[in-house]
Amino acid sequence: MNARKITFFSVLLCSAFLIACSGPQVRYGDAKGVETVNANYGSTDLQMIAESMTRSLLQSKPISASKDAPRVTLAEVKNKTSEYIDTTVITDKIRTQLLKSGQVRFAVSISEMQNQVDELKRQNQTGLYKSGTISKTGNMQGAQYRIEGSIASIVKTNKDVKDVYYVFNLNLIDNESGLIEWADEKEIRKTATR
Amino acid sequence: MRLIQNGLLLSAGVALVLLVGCSSAPTTKSQMGDGPQNGAPVSKAKLINAETLNAESKSIAVTDIYYKKEGKNPSFVEETKNKSESTSASTLTPQVIAVDADKANASALTGGPNSSAFPVKFTNLADPASTSPSTTPTPDTGTPKAADSSVSNASSSANTQTIKKSGYETKMEYGELRYLASPIRGVLINSGYKVVQAKPSVPTQNQGDEYFDVVQRIKAGDFGDANYVLYGVLEEISFTDNVDEIPGTKSSSQQVALDVVVDFNLVDTQTSQIVASFIASGGGHDIRIDGRDANYKPSMAKLMKEASLSLAEDVAKHLQDQNFVVANPANDKRTEGRNFKRRLDDDASSLKVYGK
Repeated sequence: MNARKITFFSVLLCSAFLIACSGPQVRYGDAKGVETVNANYGSTDLQMIAESMTRSLLQSKPISASKDAPRVTLAEVKNKTSEYIDTTVITDKIRTQLLKSGQVRFAVSISEMQNQVDELKRQNQTGLYKSGTISKTGNMQGAQYRIEGSIASIVKTNKDVKDVYYVFNLNLIDNESGLIEWADEKEIRKTATR
Repeated sequence: MRLIQNGLLLSAGVALVLLVGCSSAPTTKSQMGDGPQNGAPVSKAKLINAETLNAESKSIAVTDIYYKKEGKNPSFVEETKNKSESTSASTLTPQVIAVDADKANASALTGGPNSSAFPVKFTNLADPASTSPSTTPTPDTGTPKAADSSVSNASSSANTQTIKKSGYETKMEYGELRYLASPIRGVLINSGYKVVQAKPSVPTQNQGDEYFDVVQRIKAGDFGDANYVLYGVLEEISFTDNVDEIPGTKSSSQQVALDVVVDFNLVDTQTSQIVASFIASGGGHDIRIDGRDANYKPSMAKLMKEASLSLAEDVAKHLQDQNFVVANPANDKRTEGRNFKRRLDDDASSLKVYGK
């Protein structure tokens, strides 16, 4: 009797092991949920920065007081931290939220120029397109403002604690006058303990 | 007796009515004080139909764009002076140097790009100071053979002195550019002016700056019965071809531009008064991505068309600024009606009704 029980439980245990080892478990989580895996730059930081900067930008005088939606372009956001941070993700997220507000129009940024130039060249210089339907060269609209900034960090660690301080800086610059019309920053402090 | 009383009462009543009627008449008249005084008849507003309007519109002649071009021809001068005790005679013999036309065109003579490749220093033969023997300038070391042998090469005898010199002759060329003024005429036609065809101006031999004397041409009847003459003198025409990198891409942009600047004056033919004066500019542009790499050749016809159209727009803008036309007809044809006042000799005290 005991032998039969032992055999049964052994089979059950093996089955459980087999099921567990068959592959990773996948589940969807909340994209906006707070991520605290470690103290490195993460999705929550990205969302906090983008939300804070967008709100502040929309309240800025050049945008809120403008009769027509001002034309803005994205310039470089420098990564001054020791981590690898794709800063275009931050600016793209800010741009998306600003565009959704309808208060700003965006001209293609310098990193998107190659595609723009290639398209104009294709339409204007290949001779394949009907003249009335062509987007003509020389009619691109220049941006009145550009957005540029930087992200920097201070990291301190000891045996048990890792403290990371991020500061994200963003400026809105008038392209014609060169004046900085708006600037804001977002500070984030993260502490990881063992 | 009763009948007499009734008659008196009736006549008194009629008289009272008459008196009241007479006394109220001036009051009524004074209330209509807007009308003409002293019994003058009310004048009826003059109705002008489209035909009359066209007939009464002022006319304007637009000349082709005058230009003056300075040309320099390389030449060779041999001057022989014969001196005797009583008389002195000199002979000036300019001769054209055998210079390759391409080299000359690209040389310092014309300020061409290859001036260093053809380093000829020429003196202006029209300048008497440079041709006199005493002030003959010494040429640069790069002067070609013909000039080397000639400069101050004075073979003097007792009575004869021969001087050979190289140099250039400055020649002025006058003329009219026929393709720039037509869009300007179109703009004025749209404004409602009658545009009169001007007689072409043909430069004479040894023409001077009197070529630009428009008053003389008005007196000569070159512009028919035009009320105004708009004439322009070409100040500068430039053709540029630049290539720039496009930041953020591997491509470059070739920008070809033809720009013209013209000095305009609008003259009243009756009084010779200048009623508008301005400098207008126009430009034709052709932009080609990676054009230099593909050895792109721009279309001069397209550039010229664009330049003349934009020149006409600028002219219209200036005429509007100086109240010759009320609005910019190049942009809005519906403004024709607003230019009527200028087109007619409007008398401010009269009322005119424009109708079709």
